[in-house]
Amino acid sequence: MTSRRHLLTGAAAAGLGAAAGAGLMTAAGADDPVPVAATEALTTGTATVPFHGSRQAGIAEDPPAHASFVAFTLPAGTDRRSLARMMRLLTDDARRLTQGVPALGDTDATLAPLPARLTVTFGFGPGLYRAAGLPSPIADLPKFKIDRLERRWSGGDLLLQICADDPLTVAHTQRMLVKDTRPFGAVRWVQQGFRRSPGVQAPEHTQRNVMGQLDGTANPRGAEIDPAVWNSDGSTTLVVRRMRAEIETWDKLAVADKENAVGRRLESGAPLSGTREHDEPDFTKLDASGLPAMPDFSHVTRARVTDPSLKLLRRPYNYDGVPNAAGHPDSGLIFASFQKDIVRQYVPIQQRLAEKDLLNEWITPIGSAVFAVPPGCAEDGWVGDQVLA
Amino acid sequence: MRRVLITLAAILAVLAPPAPAWAHAKLLSADPAQSATLAKAPTSVTLTFNEELNPDFTTVVLSDAAQQRLPLAVPAVEATKARVAIDQPIGNGTYLLAYRVVSQDGHTVQGSYTFTVADPALPPAAVVAAPSAAAAPPAGSGRIPTGVLIGLGALGIFLAAVAAYFFASGRRRRGSPGPSPAPATPTGSPSADPR
Repeated sequence: MTSRRHLLTGAAAAGLGAAAGAGLMTAAGADDPVPVAATEALTTGTATVPFHGSRQAGIAEDPPAHASFVAFTLPAGTDRRSLARMMRLLTDDARRLTQGVPALGDTDATLAPLPARLTVTFGFGPGLYRAAGLPSPIADLPKFKIDRLERRWSGGDLLLQICADDPLTVAHTQRMLVKDTRPFGAVRWVQQGFRRSPGVQAPEHTQRNVMGQLDGTANPRGAEIDPAVWNSDGSTTLVVRRMRAEIETWDKLAVADKENAVGRRLESGAPLSGTREHDEPDFTKLDASGLPAMPDFSHVTRARVTDPSLKLLRRPYNYDGVPNAAGHPDSGLIFASFQKDIVRQYVPIQQRLAEKDLLNEWITPIGSAVFAVPPGCAEDGWVGDQVLA
Repeated sequence: MRRVLITLAAILAVLAPPAPAWAHAKLLSADPAQSATLAKAPTSVTLTFNEELNPDFTTVVLSDAAQQRLPLAVPAVEATKARVAIDQPIGNGTYLLAYRVVSQDGHTVQGSYTFTVADPALPPAAVVAAPSAAAAPPAGSGRIPTGVLIGLGALGIFLAAVAAYFFASGRRRRGSPGPSPAPATPTGSPSADPR
């Protein structure tokens, strides 16, 4: 899209004057291009992520290419004992499937052997704690003025985050887990998303979202992850927001407009105050005319946090539904972020963004849900045993 | 002359590319005006654009000749106008005003210009190299590459020549003597806009 736009603008300018083409092409910027090729390991299909541990899998690992977020509503009368029964069963399914072993009673056992880094992560909504008669460590988000939430993408008592590098593995896992959850709850919503396929890009590179932006540059890395994400007992929290991209109006913008909205160059991901993706944005830098190099209304400027323990670990997935009859896309982002404390970390950032962020003109939150992510479990345990047992 | 203008307008209307990327909001007028020399220091700045502004996203900064930013109030935006009060009295000297605004359809427009305060009642300005108004801001959609300006200028000259030709030949056909046609002025160049 970028190159085609340049081509078109370049062509239009060439029609106006011979010098124009050259002028525009140099204006396109000489930032470092993002490397796009990487070699694919032949072990993509058989790769596994350990299931057991004090922390659940599917959070700090590099996100696999495909994900399904499945939320359930618990019926009235659900109690702590039935929840424990459900979690024992689902834990058993997940521990097998993530290691490439068919679930008990797997009706298509041939689909199990290629887990492709399959992880199943369980989240408990506020309603689950109510049903269990326990105090909830999380509460629904406050309403933000940019929200246009739809019930069909919001809330949920139980969440399964199913991730793998292969969509068939995700489909099979979802089917098995939903089947075993059916006696305990009703499917409330399912959001399926994708990132780049394995081997397309080296894992350390930041991926692009459907709007063409590098997404996740400011994520905590390495030693930064622990203080931002994990509680001492191995629990964390998850915010899932469905962000619709207003592609029709976004497409009308010039590259520079898009860059001003985000505060980063589209091509390199470099902050407008720097030249490389991982340059720390300099919010004090002024251009020759005295304007801040990072626009004060840009997404990066508004979302910034200085204390690394306040960062969010973003693990988003793109979605791309079916275009409507007019050909307008149904695209956006399944925003998923893990953080120790939603109120201390997520809410202040989202409040600043809701208040003022030029990117809001092209993204609309249409779904929202919060979950506590209980600690992982030992080999003889089950996820949630520390909460529900 | 009227005929020339009408012909020119007609030709431009036909030849102008449809909705080019740089035809979004632009600064129509400013008070103080671009390059103005004022006998009295202004207490506010008003910028008027050709499109309605999004009031949430308006940045205006004022710097003196030493490139020190002066305190400004929060901009008050009303439709196409952004008005900013200058918090403290300013002395004699040249000032650089820069703006970054967003039109209702989300396009960012930025630019800058200078004006000079020369109030005889105030002490003369200290001699400091005036900042250049032409300093290029980082890629804003409002910025027009020099190449395009040259191209548009060339187009304007060409169109003016064509119009002048039609005008002259039309006069010949009617055979009516009249005042000699005014020299055609190149038009179509938005270079008056300092972006």
